[in-house]
Amino acid sequence: MRLRPAAVLRRLGQSALVVALTYVLVYAVLFLLPGDPIRSRIDNPQNPIPEEQAEAIINYYRLDLPPLEQFWLSVTRLLQGDLGYSLTNGRRVSDLVAQGFGETATLAGVALLVSAALALLIALGAVFAPWARLRGLFRTLPAVALATPGFLIGLVLLQVFAYQLGWFSSIRDEGARSLILPALTLGIGASAPIAQVLIEGLESAWREPFATVLRAGGFPRRSIIGRHVLKNGAIPAVTLLGLTVGELLAGSVIAETIFSRTGLGFVTEQAVRAQDGPTVLAVVMVVSVVFTLVNLATDLVYPLIDPRIGGPRSARIRPHREEIAA
Amino acid sequence: MPIQPRRLAAPLAALAVTGLLTSCAASASPAGASGEREGGELVYLDAELTSNTQLQTSGTWQDSAYVTNITDRLVFKDPETGELQPHVAEDWTVSEDGLVYEFAIREGITYSDGTDLDAANVERNLEWQSQGDPEQGIPANNWLPPIADISSGDGTVTVKLEQPYAPLLDVLSFWRTSLVADATIDSTIEEQSQITGIIGSGPFTVESEVYGEEIVFAKREGYDWAPSSWEHQGEAFLDRVTVIPVTEDSVRQGSLRSGEADLIRYVLPSEEQGLIDAGIEVVGVQGTGNANVWDVRQSAPFVDDVRVRQALQVGIDREQIVDDLYSGNWQAATSTVSPGTFGYVDLAESLRFDPERAEALLDEAGFTERDADGYRTRDGERLSLTTYVDVYDSTAKPLFQLIQWQLQRLGIELVIEETDYANYSAVIADPSIAVRRNGWPEADAWVRQSVNYSVDGSNLLNLPEDDRVLADLYAQQAVTTDAAERARIVGEIQRVSVEQAYLLPILDDSQVFGIQPTVHDLRWTAEARPWFYDAWTERK
Repeated sequence: MRLRPAAVLRRLGQSALVVALTYVLVYAVLFLLPGDPIRSRIDNPQNPIPEEQAEAIINYYRLDLPPLEQFWLSVTRLLQGDLGYSLTNGRRVSDLVAQGFGETATLAGVALLVSAALALLIALGAVFAPWARLRGLFRTLPAVALATPGFLIGLVLLQVFAYQLGWFSSIRDEGARSLILPALTLGIGASAPIAQVLIEGLESAWREPFATVLRAGGFPRRSIIGRHVLKNGAIPAVTLLGLTVGELLAGSVIAETIFSRTGLGFVTEQAVRAQDGPTVLAVVMVVSVVFTLVNLATDLVYPLIDPRIGGPRSARIRPHREEIAA
Repeated sequence: MPIQPRRLAAPLAALAVTGLLTSCAASASPAGASGEREGGELVYLDAELTSNTQLQTSGTWQDSAYVTNITDRLVFKDPETGELQPHVAEDWTVSEDGLVYEFAIREGITYSDGTDLDAANVERNLEWQSQGDPEQGIPANNWLPPIADISSGDGTVTVKLEQPYAPLLDVLSFWRTSLVADATIDSTIEEQSQITGIIGSGPFTVESEVYGEEIVFAKREGYDWAPSSWEHQGEAFLDRVTVIPVTEDSVRQGSLRSGEADLIRYVLPSEEQGLIDAGIEVVGVQGTGNANVWDVRQSAPFVDDVRVRQALQVGIDREQIVDDLYSGNWQAATSTVSPGTFGYVDLAESLRFDPERAEALLDEAGFTERDADGYRTRDGERLSLTTYVDVYDSTAKPLFQLIQWQLQRLGIELVIEETDYANYSAVIADPSIAVRRNGWPEADAWVRQSVNYSVDGSNLLNLPEDDRVLADLYAQQAVTTDAAERARIVGEIQRVSVEQAYLLPILDDSQVFGIQPTVHDLRWTAEARPWFYDAWTERK
């Protein structure tokens, strides 16, 4: 299957439009919402600023300009790569977003690995463990993980491994070590749905005729599971794993608060709390660009992986791979 | 130093606690005589994140605490006695008419960037403070009076005022009037908004900062200009103070218990006993200045009637609030300012809970009927007041709810609305909101009150016109340089504010800290900011 250049261009254009519209929409929403950090600074009861001096502040931030002019100023600066400064702490928005995105991407990446490993372990246990009782125990784990709020998992991990055992610092950035507990917190939560889907996938693959044939052929159980059943039964779970990335980015807010990490969730929370327009705008833009790119990549790459999509030769697919479409 | 009995009793009850806590160490060895104090690091978990350190625009408690430790000021306010003493100004004179101040600037002080803190730099600081920097959106320091002229030469700085201004020296001792290097004044508002952009001459300097993770303050090498009246001279004892913002209460307390931190700010009242049992010192500090009060806004229905306001004044049971919601580290307000504030008068008797009087006042005001829900009505209208939960105080919500319950028993409905930090200033502008929390520690409570409550100022009581008596008193206290006379005037201000129930004092503003027993001689400024200069740790 080949990609037609026109289709690719159209898809690229759509993506750019989505990002641009997001910008306009978020800008408008921020503008329409009551309250802004500059007004809060002027009216702060701990340091009220008289009206005539407030004017100088409002002029400095160009808040005296008509809305459309402010918008245009913001767009022209953006096109020059200038995201501006935070209105609450005076830092460069680009620095804040870069710091936050780096931290969160690393955390989400490790958490993804953790959730994949946990899901695999639980699913293998739930389907292939030697005793029914043990299998039952493994089977309940995803439900328990789903029912436990993320912050509770985080606080319990802190209590045991940081306060009691002292293996980790609860407050300091110790580099890679500091990733372990928050990644576990996020990973445990995210692993639950993956494990459930994987359990079902493995069970149905185990009942497939090909598995029966292999068993009848005298192949060792371990190699049937490892080389065949797993490969076939894991496909829906892998798709779900991809979707989990978004969830991990969103879920990081809570983990970051508990573990005092300064990722994108932290930057967002601070900015939204104070209605720090430039920072909120930048964060939303980063997220929208990431999601648009992921979507774009999926749309463009999917036909390369699965020839049935957009191709006439789909009839030759083997029946048990139907699950991809599901 | 001699301590006058009048001042001994009043100032900062909690600082006395601190004194007890650290006094044995203080008497064991004279400052600097032995090496046991030097060295080590103090890890301080703050409950909030740094947001803006720009001197004239900042309004956050935590930032003011950081600035205090890296800068010096012209005048030093002794935290234990409240006395004003020389610091960067080694001496000063005030003209007979109270209009001309001459400050002799101490020699040999340098900023951490190597530049001199001399008379010319002080002149520049005062110009900048009193004028602001409109081009940059930096307002003036509104605690300073209109200044006719500032000049410097020969090691002195001369300030000429347009009118006498009694609180000037207090204002110059406040963190907002900290002295900074020329480079800071020349820098942008964005740079000044970060602690790394504040270049001071204080006993600590900013070594590094990672936003949201930590600020590391290092001892300033060669610091040799502590206030001359202070026992400890020379460099600070601690090598380093690391401030880590931990907004999650349970994590902050857990980290202190596990020994990862030496000091935390803000302990939930319900958690205090647990920390004490774990061997942690829990200290509540009340700074001098305004108490936590509720401003009664007369644009709202019903409260323009003085009887309704007076009913609120005696209908709130402050002792119950402290007993039920707080701990021994908190205390009920006894005036519009906290004990130790210049001119403080104890009005506890006028604020005593008196439900019979409250009921009688409400009857007298015509709220004699009751509606189906048991609230009082007048001409069929329910006596209902609206407020918003204070966003600057993490203990506000239960406090508001308890007062709501107390007032309900008198037949007054208190409707509590909630909003977030970003929207608070916008929603609170609504004239129908009857009460609103105000009041924090200040270098001079009276400057602040006159700005807050005069009709030409912020008019926070939403009065159609000034109360003549009160307006005259505020005007007089500002220009009365005779301390005894000024104290009499501000005493009168407190009486009028309480009797007319313009303000409902609730609690004395408290900051509660948890401290490891290995930390000694931690002090607080008069306005209850932690001051690390004397502090030392057993853990090296």
